[in-house]
Amino acid sequence: MTANIADTVRSEWTKFRSIPSNVPILLATVAVMVGAGALTANGASKNYQAAGAAFDATYVSMYGGFLFAQISVGALGVLVVTSEYATGMIRTSLTVVPRRGRLLAAKVWTFGVIALVMGEVAAFGSFFLGQTMIGAAGAPAAELGQPGVLRAVVGMGLIWALVGLIGVALGCLLRDTMAATTVVVAVNFIIPIIGPRLMPAAVGDWVTTYWPISAGLQVTTTVHHAERLAPWTGLGLMTAFTAVLLMVAFAVFRSRDA
Amino acid sequence: MIRIDGLTKRFGDRTAVDDLTFTVEPGRVTGFLGPNGAGKSTTMRMILGLDKPNAGSVTINGHGYVGTARPMREVGALLDARALHSGRTARNHLLCLAQTNGIRGKRVDEVLDLVGLESVARKRAGSFSLGMGQRLGIAVALLGDPKVLLFDEPVNGLDPEGIKWIRELMRGLAGEDRTVLVSSHLMSEMAQTADHLIVIGKGKLIADIGISEFVRQGSNVLVRADSQDQLAPRLIEAGGSIQQGIDGSFIVTGLEPRQIGETALAAGVVLTELTPQRSLEQAYMDLTRDSVEFHASAA
Repeated sequence: MTANIADTVRSEWTKFRSIPSNVPILLATVAVMVGAGALTANGASKNYQAAGAAFDATYVSMYGGFLFAQISVGALGVLVVTSEYATGMIRTSLTVVPRRGRLLAAKVWTFGVIALVMGEVAAFGSFFLGQTMIGAAGAPAAELGQPGVLRAVVGMGLIWALVGLIGVALGCLLRDTMAATTVVVAVNFIIPIIGPRLMPAAVGDWVTTYWPISAGLQVTTTVHHAERLAPWTGLGLMTAFTAVLLMVAFAVFRSRDA
Repeated sequence: MIRIDGLTKRFGDRTAVDDLTFTVEPGRVTGFLGPNGAGKSTTMRMILGLDKPNAGSVTINGHGYVGTARPMREVGALLDARALHSGRTARNHLLCLAQTNGIRGKRVDEVLDLVGLESVARKRAGSFSLGMGQRLGIAVALLGDPKVLLFDEPVNGLDPEGIKWIRELMRGLAGEDRTVLVSSHLMSEMAQTADHLIVIGKGKLIADIGISEFVRQGSNVLVRADSQDQLAPRLIEAGGSIQQGIDGSFIVTGLEPRQIGETALAAGVVLTELTPQRSLEQAYMDLTRDSVEFHASAA
C-alpha cells in the first residue's frame, strides 16, 4: 500500500486537533465574531437613517466582528506551519513525508477546510444575530432571500479561508511565529484598515479599492459602491493574491533545507 | 543498506561535509563517530533528504529516499527527541506521524508498549523527562518497522539503565538484519555497541573500519624488559611499531599485551613491565585530533 495525500491530510487534522489550544481558540474566534458583530450591528443600526441607501444591514452584521476574528484566524494559519519550525517537528514531519509539496498541500487543504467551515458558522451566526439586533433597533433587517445577501454571507466564510491560507503561506515563508503573525496583521489589518486614514488620499483610495483583503471583502457587501470592485471581482483578486503567495511558499518550501 | 557517494555540503564558505563516501551495511550496528561539528548530523539530514547536498548522492536500499512509496517502511530516524510539540500527548504525536504512512493506531499502541511508555501514552510529551522523550523518539523511528534506522546521539542525557536499553535495542535491530547507523561523539559508547565504525572529522572520512581492527590498532603498551635490544626487533617482526619511552622504556603500538608477552617468551627476554596505556578513547582522540573544530585552549 502506498502512502497518499489523504493519509497526510488525516495526519494534519490529528496534528491540528491534538494541540490543546487550537480548538478552544477557534471556537472563541467564532464567538468573538458573532458577539462583536452583534454589537457593531446594534451601533450601526442606530444611525441607519443617516446612512440612507448606503445602509448595508448584511455587511454591518459581519464586518465589525470579522475585524477581530481575522487576526486569530490568520495567526492560527501561521501556527500550522511555524509551530513545527519552533519545535523542530518539521524535520520529523518531512522524514515521514519526504515529498514536501505533499506535506504543505495537506496543511493548506486541512486548514483551508477548517477555516472555511468555521468561517461559514461565524458568518451565518453573526448575520442572524446581527439582523435580530438591527430589527430590534428599528432598522431594516436583511433576509437571506434578498438579492446578494446569501452571496455576502457565504462570501464571508470564503474570506475566512483566504485569511487563514495567507497565514499558512506567510508562516511557511517566514518560519517564525512572531514575524509571520506581525506580517499577517500588517497585511490584513494595519495597511487596509488603519492605513488609508494615514496615507495621502490617492494612495489610501487605491488601497481601499485594490488591497487584497479590501477588494475581497466587497463580496460581503450588498450595497455596491461604484468606485469599488464588483463583489466577485474583488474576491477573485484576493484569491489570486493568496494563490500567488502560496505558490511562492511551495517553491521556497521545496527548495530550502529543512 | 545506505550508500553515500561523494557527499558534499557547504554552508556559506564552510564545508560541513566534504566528499564523503561510505556504505552502511545491514546486519550490524555501524557507529558514526566524530567530534562535535564534524558533520554527522548534517550527513544524517542529507540521508533523509532534509538538507540538499551540493554534490554527491545518497541511496537507501538502492534508491533515493524522497520518492519512496512508504517512507516509514524504508527508514526510521531519531534526529532530535525534543523535536515535538510539547502540548501534544505521546500517543497523538505518534498517531499523527503514523497516519502519514497509513499506519494504524494498533501499531502506535504496540510501539508505545515496546518502548515502555504505555502508561504515559495520554500525557503531554512536554512533561516527559529526557529519557522518556528519547524513548518516544525511538518509538517514532520504529513505527513503520523500517529496514534502515538512523539514531543521532541516542544516549545523550540518558541514565545507565536507559543507555543499556538502547544498546540492546540497537543490537537486536541489527540482529534482525536491519541497517543501523548510530552517531556519537563518545568512543566509549560506540566500543560497546558498534560492530563497525565510520569516523569523520571536519566533514571528511577519517576511518571506515571494523571495531576489532580499530581496537587492535588503537592499543598502545608501555614495555620494559631486561634486554630491550633483543626484544625490539622481534616485536617489529610481530607487526608492532616501537617508540622510545622515558627511562629506557618503549611504547609498542599495534600489538596486544598478550602478543608482546608471547614474543618476549619466545625471545627468552624477561619483561619487567607491561602496561596497556591508551584507551580506545585516546586512540579515537588521536585519530581526530587534527579535525576537532573547537579546542579548549590551555590557559
